[in-house]
Amino acid sequence: MKRLAALVSVSFLALSGCQLPTSSGEEKPVITLWYWNRSLSDDVIAKAQEAFPDVTIEAQKIGGDEYKTKLHTALIAGRGPDIVAMNDWAFEYLAYEEEFVNLLDYGAGELEEDYLDWKWQAVEDPDSGSLIALPIDTGPTALYYRADLFEEAGLPTEPEDVHAALQTWDDYIDAAIQLKEETGAYMFESITKPYLQMLEQQSDKYFAEDGSYIGDGESIQTAWSTAIRIHEEGLSARLTDGQETNAALNGGDVASRVGAVWESQITQDAAPDTAGKWRVTRTPGGDGNNGGSFIGVLASSPMKDEAVEITKWLVSPDAQQQHYLDVNLFPSTIATLESELMHKPDPFYGEQMVADVFIESAKNVPPTFYGEHYGIFRDIFNDELVLVDRTNKNPDQAWEDAQRQAARELSRLEK
Amino acid sequence: MTQPKHEVARPPVFHNKPSLWAEIWKKRTLYLFISPFFLLFAVFGIFPIIYSLYLSFHNWSGLGERTFVGLSNFQYLITDAGFWQAVGNTFGIWFLSSIPMLFFALVIAFLLNLPSLTGRGTYRTLFFITNVTSIVAVAIIFETIFSNQYGLMNYLLSLVGIGSLEWMNSSFLIKVVIASMVVWRFVGYNAIIYLAGLQSIPKTLYEAAIIDGANKIQIFFRITIPMLRPIILFTVIMTTIGSMQIFTEPQILLGNSGGVGGAGMTMTLYMYNEGFLNQQFGYASAVSWAMFIIIAVFSLINWKLVQKA
Repeated sequence: MKRLAALVSVSFLALSGCQLPTSSGEEKPVITLWYWNRSLSDDVIAKAQEAFPDVTIEAQKIGGDEYKTKLHTALIAGRGPDIVAMNDWAFEYLAYEEEFVNLLDYGAGELEEDYLDWKWQAVEDPDSGSLIALPIDTGPTALYYRADLFEEAGLPTEPEDVHAALQTWDDYIDAAIQLKEETGAYMFESITKPYLQMLEQQSDKYFAEDGSYIGDGESIQTAWSTAIRIHEEGLSARLTDGQETNAALNGGDVASRVGAVWESQITQDAAPDTAGKWRVTRTPGGDGNNGGSFIGVLASSPMKDEAVEITKWLVSPDAQQQHYLDVNLFPSTIATLESELMHKPDPFYGEQMVADVFIESAKNVPPTFYGEHYGIFRDIFNDELVLVDRTNKNPDQAWEDAQRQAARELSRLEK
Repeated sequence: MTQPKHEVARPPVFHNKPSLWAEIWKKRTLYLFISPFFLLFAVFGIFPIIYSLYLSFHNWSGLGERTFVGLSNFQYLITDAGFWQAVGNTFGIWFLSSIPMLFFALVIAFLLNLPSLTGRGTYRTLFFITNVTSIVAVAIIFETIFSNQYGLMNYLLSLVGIGSLEWMNSSFLIKVVIASMVVWRFVGYNAIIYLAGLQSIPKTLYEAAIIDGANKIQIFFRITIPMLRPIILFTVIMTTIGSMQIFTEPQILLGNSGGVGGAGMTMTLYMYNEGFLNQQFGYASAVSWAMFIIIAVFSLINWKLVQKA
């Protein structure tokens, strides 16, 4: 029996091993931070530890796909980390703002001037005057295009000229027709990608700020019918995301894509054979934003003051500079966007100063409202467009089906 | 048994009740040793089952209010085209995968059991490796093989003069690709089980059949198959339960949407989407209970059919 007791106590010790006080005897309070790989620079986190010597910052890197589920579970349980990084879905938690510290109560208001307004407003509830997070990075969009294929098609090639010629989506589609005739290459990888990027250029998405459904309104209709026009003109390469798109980009079958700044790295990795041939210019139809993350403090944190100070420090203009240099996080602070270090020629884009394009784009993104259920409705419309693109489903039927599903979903959400 | 005897037997029965606890107490060390399983099972097994039933009568996003909605989740489910499509897809994939898989497994097991075969252990390991390979890695490989425009399979088809197929655009072909992943992964596993079954059939039966003048085919259908019936029953039930719960293959291959038109959306993926992506935990619980009923009924039908055959 004694042996058993010993065994049990040993295994309990082993289980709780990570919580044993350190042998040095000094016990600093612990602040826990959740983030995922490359959502913050590890070096900046290490420097934050130096800047806040009175606490121990325990930074836990959590795997990508499970991240949001894990955070949601922690919120349900009422016990989670003190500080938490959140991806572009952070706005969904505006509906549960009581789970987060209102950063305006902790003096964050004076920082508002430092950040891009539309980014700040994405996680602020104007009615309750609550700010649930601070911005980390942004995802301003631009038009990536193949200068060599544009030249072959008789289209302008210099970024300024391309921007001047392709002011609207109609201009862009006309150029796509010309490109297809002259070179055989497609301008668009699919119709869902342009649809999504068109929506990101507009303030109105599926819900108005009062929560009413506007998924049958002008904004969605315009984006939808433009996507359908791309389909009907035969300008979509009808690719699946991932390996197939990568192969097409590398093989020169797709001559352009509208994408966020973080897609630059993805394109470079996907299409190494095309280095030097790409250029970047402002998006036809206006600037937009796709992606970009946030960082907030949970209301369950026992050390809110320290946690908020660390959070502010982690996304200050100086820290953002380092995030950009280390892990390519495109800044959300105006001072960082305007700093000299952003102006570097990029060999993949024929030594073009690509950041200049994205900086201009970032400054002109329209403020937008997504709403708690944005993801569900985005998927409904996206799935129907996939059917049109890849299986030639009748576009009118697809629109009707999307609206019917949306209505059904609304009937459930309103309960 | 006569009445008086029964009365005599009564006192010890009465006496039995307190001694049950005494028995347990006497063997407390043993019960302590087996208790971890029961404690873990109660926490991670029984509790979630009961709680999901409770949740299925509520609307709950995880955070915020949990509102009682009665049977409306189930009403929504019955008229939910997305759910019934997922049910159809799951059965389609089951049909396309389980029959060829069990057939090939039986053939492989038969070949592995041939007396003339050398290096049986090596083959056994090789056939089992597919089962322990990471599904994520397998799905990525299959994605490159069956890609619409740049796939290896389409390249091979073009070599033999057949035009390329849009594997990932066709509702039927998507199911074929998923089924082929399932077959690839589980054919070896089932072959090993069949092999164990084959090796347990007494040699004397075969010898007697040969003396009686039976040919190879007669031996296979009159001795091997009937003697293997319990093993076949086991694999059919396990395959059925497994196929009803296919999740990782379509999720990695096609994403959470289940591919074009949701052609690869399975019941489990649908439940996952509703719960963890749309945060409709009440509805997801209702879906999981509907799945439970479907799997239970279908397993029962399968069992009856195979037993009769």
